[in-house]
Amino acid sequence: MPDPTEDSRPPRTASRDWSAHLRPRLARLALTAAREREIIDELSQHLDDRYDALRADGLADLEARQLALEELRDDDTLARYMRALRQAHVPAPIAEGAPNRGLTADILQDLRYAARMLRRQPGFTIAVVLTLALGIGANTAVFSLVNATLFQRLGVGDPATLAYVSRGNGGVFSYPMYATLRDHTQHFAGLAGWGGISASLHTGDSAELVNGLIVTGNFFDVLQVGPAARGRLLSPADDVTPGAHPVAVISYDFWQTRFAGETGVVGREVRLNGHVFTVVGVAPAGFGGPVLGGVRSLYVPMMMQAIMRPPRARYSGDQNPDLLQHLTNSWISAVGRLKPGAPIEPARAELESLASEFVRTRLPAAAVPARPSPSAPLQPISVVGLEEGADNQRQPLRAAALLLGGVVGAVLLIACANIANLLLSRASSRRREVAVRLALGASRTRLIRQLLTESLLLSLLGGAAGVAIAWAVTAAFQAAPPPAGALPLTFDFAIDRRVLLFSLVLSCATGILFGIAPALEASRPGLVPALKGTDATLGERRARFDLKKLLVVGEVALSLLLLIAAGLFVRGLQSARAIEPGLDVDKLVSAPLSVNLLRYTRAQGREFYRQAVERVSALPGVESATVARVAVLGGSSRVYSLHVEGRGATHESAQSEGGRGVARDPRLINANVVGPEFFQTLGIALVKGRDFRDTDVEAGPPVVILNATAAAMQFANADPIGSRVSVDGPDGPWREIVGVVRDSKYGALREEALPVAYLPLAQNHETGMTLYVRGSVPPASLVGALRREIQSLEPNLPVPNIRTMTDTIGTSLYAARMGAWLLAVFGGLALVLAVVGIYGVLSFSVSRRTREMGIRLALGADSHRVFLLVVRDGMLLVAVGILIGLTGGLAGARALASSLQGVSATDLPTFAGTIALLTAVALVACAIPARRAIRINPITALRQE
Amino acid sequence: MLDRELKKGSAELIILSIVETRARHGYEISQQIEQRSAGQLKFHIASLYPLLYRLEERGWLQGRWVEKVGQRRRRYYRLTAEGRRVLASQRNTWRTFVTAMRLITGVDNA
Repeated sequence: MPDPTEDSRPPRTASRDWSAHLRPRLARLALTAAREREIIDELSQHLDDRYDALRADGLADLEARQLALEELRDDDTLARYMRALRQAHVPAPIAEGAPNRGLTADILQDLRYAARMLRRQPGFTIAVVLTLALGIGANTAVFSLVNATLFQRLGVGDPATLAYVSRGNGGVFSYPMYATLRDHTQHFAGLAGWGGISASLHTGDSAELVNGLIVTGNFFDVLQVGPAARGRLLSPADDVTPGAHPVAVISYDFWQTRFAGETGVVGREVRLNGHVFTVVGVAPAGFGGPVLGGVRSLYVPMMMQAIMRPPRARYSGDQNPDLLQHLTNSWISAVGRLKPGAPIEPARAELESLASEFVRTRLPAAAVPARPSPSAPLQPISVVGLEEGADNQRQPLRAAALLLGGVVGAVLLIACANIANLLLSRASSRRREVAVRLALGASRTRLIRQLLTESLLLSLLGGAAGVAIAWAVTAAFQAAPPPAGALPLTFDFAIDRRVLLFSLVLSCATGILFGIAPALEASRPGLVPALKGTDATLGERRARFDLKKLLVVGEVALSLLLLIAAGLFVRGLQSARAIEPGLDVDKLVSAPLSVNLLRYTRAQGREFYRQAVERVSALPGVESATVARVAVLGGSSRVYSLHVEGRGATHESAQSEGGRGVARDPRLINANVVGPEFFQTLGIALVKGRDFRDTDVEAGPPVVILNATAAAMQFANADPIGSRVSVDGPDGPWREIVGVVRDSKYGALREEALPVAYLPLAQNHETGMTLYVRGSVPPASLVGALRREIQSLEPNLPVPNIRTMTDTIGTSLYAARMGAWLLAVFGGLALVLAVVGIYGVLSFSVSRRTREMGIRLALGADSHRVFLLVVRDGMLLVAVGILIGLTGGLAGARALASSLQGVSATDLPTFAGTIALLTAVALVACAIPARRAIRINPITALRQE
Repeated sequence: MLDRELKKGSAELIILSIVETRARHGYEISQQIEQRSAGQLKFHIASLYPLLYRLEERGWLQGRWVEKVGQRRRRYYRLTAEGRRVLASQRNTWRTFVTAMRLITGVDNA
């Protein structure tokens, strides 16, 4: 580059003083002395040059001066141009000695500017913040659910060395076998055992049923559960002599809710199952038991088994095997702490050999009162690390949590796309503002940072509102928790630190996600000054529009996906509702009567049931009452092996309780023990033969009634009446089939047809029956009277769960209902957002193409065609979106097929219906801007810039 | 005299192209503009210098004081790398715009 100081002009002789003219013009600007000096120097130089040139042209001194000064225009032109410059670029005041805080000051300035911009457009701001609040709030609520279930910790110490020990896969031990393992293992530092209990807790006025655990003395030690919140925890000293340790530890939550957190709870006496116990301590907060889920309110020592864990099924007070000695009644779950460094497999093998030796030496071959389950009597021991085991426990909810998370994530994405589109539209209307800022010296990065700050401010505001929404949702959920047993895991989810952190991160990510494209777009430099004001910038237009189109297509696809999911679940719920339960659901109330807790003798129990039924039947509004061992639609079952007389002993006898009903195995049958008038009360019709009669007494010939499926399974088309079957093994006692009843639901609403055998209570004593009452009035009104009647009969008996049968069915459908409702809400939200997006983009496009439309209409185009043109543009996007969404929907439905019950993964009405809905609503969204387009007045349109 | 509006929009492009080949001081720039446009464009002090300062603040020009014996110091402006980029871009746009104008309005070789 040539030396700039090479001046082609002749050297000058003198300089004039122009400052007298310059200074007043610069005075108003309040420049620093140095800066003023500089400017005056430069402008003076220019004036000098001008003067010299004019003089060289032949003008006199005065004229030359005057002409030169005309360059300054009038008095304030210079100042005006200079002022605009100065004010735009005010540097931050630099305090003496202060460090360079450019960045913080900048950010604060950005924030203030952003706040001002948002305040100036309240409608836009509110709409965006609301949308974000819904999206982020939903995600936060779902995350707090995920947090409560998938991240839940067991509250035990050093979980890495703990392992669940079980027979087979999750099976239980008898106490003697457990004790053998515990006492002889070398690989485990300690092996603790527990069993689940329900106890009647009586504190003064009424009895309630509480759930808890009966645990060995080393339970809290092995699990390394922290220091007690109050008092002490159970220790091996509490586990020495049977019946000699009436002490209990209550859970932290139970202490807070039931005892109001009172400090004097330690030492308090309570009645458990009618006996006095002393509360010796409160477990630490955060410990909810050795497995996830479930509510455990108290822990009692194993030695109190006789009172706290009476045997179930067929036992009563006068026939009371000691479960601590019983060799084959299995009910103990175990967890062990491995010695440091001990690997699992050798430990497992050791336990296995100990167990086989136990079976070999201790179990006599004959005369075992209880029957082992149909599966092998000795199963291999399995040892599963605690973390892995806990993971398995979380399995059922994981799929649901993932689905829900995906759904709310999709909704948030759609919302972001909408907001991005909105910002892109706004960007073009803010071009002038941006141009001014660029002209006044802002750098592009700075500008992008400014725009991103606006987006972040919006998203943080939305996030804060979203947290409030999530908090409200979780509070509502806490206040109206699902009915007991409705969901596979219980949880209480709260907004804790992790959830808040998630919400913050999500807000920031959201802000950047929807803000980055518009920010980059809006800050493109250079073109504006040259083409000031005109909207249509050639060449640029195509690129920007594609981004918005892409966003809309994505929104449509996502919302279709959600709608399909919602549709499938709703259809599934419909099909569940349509299932015929086979009994008169809307007339029934049920009440579980757990007299086994009170150790009634057989005679006492029989009398109690008789009196209960009699007194309840006498209540006004009650048509009849009865009892049954297996609660109808209770999810549980009792399974016996079935032998038909005369067909030979093809298999061993078997009995199990508690699991799911069996459907296809002709060697097994589901069973129930029922009181008199069972079938009338429940409304189950008799198909053949007769009902149980008063003459079917204990001393008489044993009888049984089968349902239609059982009869068909065992006898095909032949008449089963008169034939005899045995549920106690191939050698009888043989029971005569006296009747066949119509099929009705046994354990669950969605089960396939199960074979069921009904045994009369009179011939088969049971403890723990459920009372069923049939009312001629709405059953809900009977609940209070029922409770009073039963409690007056036996005050120590807790009757917590009196429910109408409709409620019971509602509980079993709870999960499906919740799922369908949630998906419908989010699907609807997604639809609304997507449609708003379509409308927004199309509307913006129409306004930008106003001139083009105007020209077309002016040139005589049919308004009809213009209308179709706009609609076609919009529906093209919708069509592509639907195609993508459909593909995704089909794939997703297939993946979800396992969770879908009662509806196929390619359910035509669902797919067709959602596509039709989306298309219809989208059409409306396209029609509105289209109508606007054809109403354009060509003249005003052409005049518009 | 060309329309004020047009001049405003193209001022930057003009300045940048004047200093493209070599650095110049303010008076020289105004002279160049007047000469090259055959008297059609004239920039007076009140509009020229604020424009130069603006371009300098943006980093498209760089100004330097040069002092010679017996003379007042002068400020010379030269194009920066960024300025070169902007010049090229603005030239392009202008070219496109002019072509479009020609096509639409049928204005022949300007």
